[in-house]
Amino acid sequence: MNKGKIVSIHSFRGGTGKSNTTANLAAQVALAGKRVGVVDTDIQSPGIHVLFGLDETKMGKTINDFLHGTATIREIGFPIGENTGGAEGRAKLAGKNLWLFPSSIRGREISQILREGVDFNKLNEGLQTTISEFDLDYLFIDTHPGLNEETLLSIATSDILIIILRPDNQDLQGTSVTVDIARSLDVPHLMLMVNKALPKYDFAQIKKEIEAKFSAPVSGVLPLTFDLADNASNDLFSLRYPDHEWSKSLRGVADAILAVK
Amino acid sequence: MPGVFDRLNKEIESKQKDGGITALDLADLSPALRKIMKIMLRELQMTYPRLCEVMDAMPEGERLTRNLLDDALSTLTQQFWLIRIGEKEKAIYKVNLKRKTGSTLAAGIWSSLDEKLKK
Repeated sequence: MNKGKIVSIHSFRGGTGKSNTTANLAAQVALAGKRVGVVDTDIQSPGIHVLFGLDETKMGKTINDFLHGTATIREIGFPIGENTGGAEGRAKLAGKNLWLFPSSIRGREISQILREGVDFNKLNEGLQTTISEFDLDYLFIDTHPGLNEETLLSIATSDILIIILRPDNQDLQGTSVTVDIARSLDVPHLMLMVNKALPKYDFAQIKKEIEAKFSAPVSGVLPLTFDLADNASNDLFSLRYPDHEWSKSLRGVADAILAVK
Repeated sequence: MPGVFDRLNKEIESKQKDGGITALDLADLSPALRKIMKIMLRELQMTYPRLCEVMDAMPEGERLTRNLLDDALSTLTQQFWLIRIGEKEKAIYKVNLKRKTGSTLAAGIWSSLDEKLKK
């Protein structure tokens, strides 16, 4: 059996900070000495590559190429540890075993996927082969918000599912749907992470109420902060500002992932 | 000259074009069927003896008896959710996921979009 764990990061609604969280969690787990991959399965609206300093000029082969049979998984993996760029936070990843498997940001390739559909046998083969080819301990999957077919596949194949929500009634209702589906798909480890909580709230109380509502552990409550918005996805925030409250809480979530046996 | 592996792979790929299961369908399966499908999703392809080994290595409460496993495999292959190549001990199983269909927008919309994206 594959030894690497698949960690899917999902939110029912957009704007919860999913890609930012995924990139920072993957970076923290790589800093802990693990071999880590990050796959962008948000084929319709990819974005996580920005947090790792990639743009169209640096991006080579993508998931789209793999799905079209014009690239192997080995060719897609972009070694972040060898290409940290100038950002202060990302520089801490130099020499670490972290690879990004990006989706294409070329308009024509996105429209091609929308037009032709997705071969899920191929996509699943890609996800599982990524773990074996790169001998990964963890494969993080950044999913499209809401419930589409790619997201459901990544949930079904996950060892750990982290659902991100804001303390907001729309998010709470949507999260109920995702939690129900995750349970009906027998996801082994389900965790919730609250993001963008107003600092005036009692975080311990938020954690208690959400855990009671969903009967699932809340691995972290992260504050809403202008500092993160000001970072504007230019760098990995938790690496650049390790003493910030957001970063400390995020490391707690990374510890919860690492604690899963 | 193509080898046995190439020939089997071609046979599997040709069968995968028929039907398949969606991730949402997995939620509606019985626990036994879902257990097998989830193992297959991770392993992609397994021989029958290897599947038996994996099953035997599970904690007692989660394990399927050989009869239950055989019945489940039979159901899954009849539905084309698993593809079987070969018979009995020599069988190889592979998961068959349903393809996500493309957009049903009129073809003209896509060609116009492609033209704009070329610029």
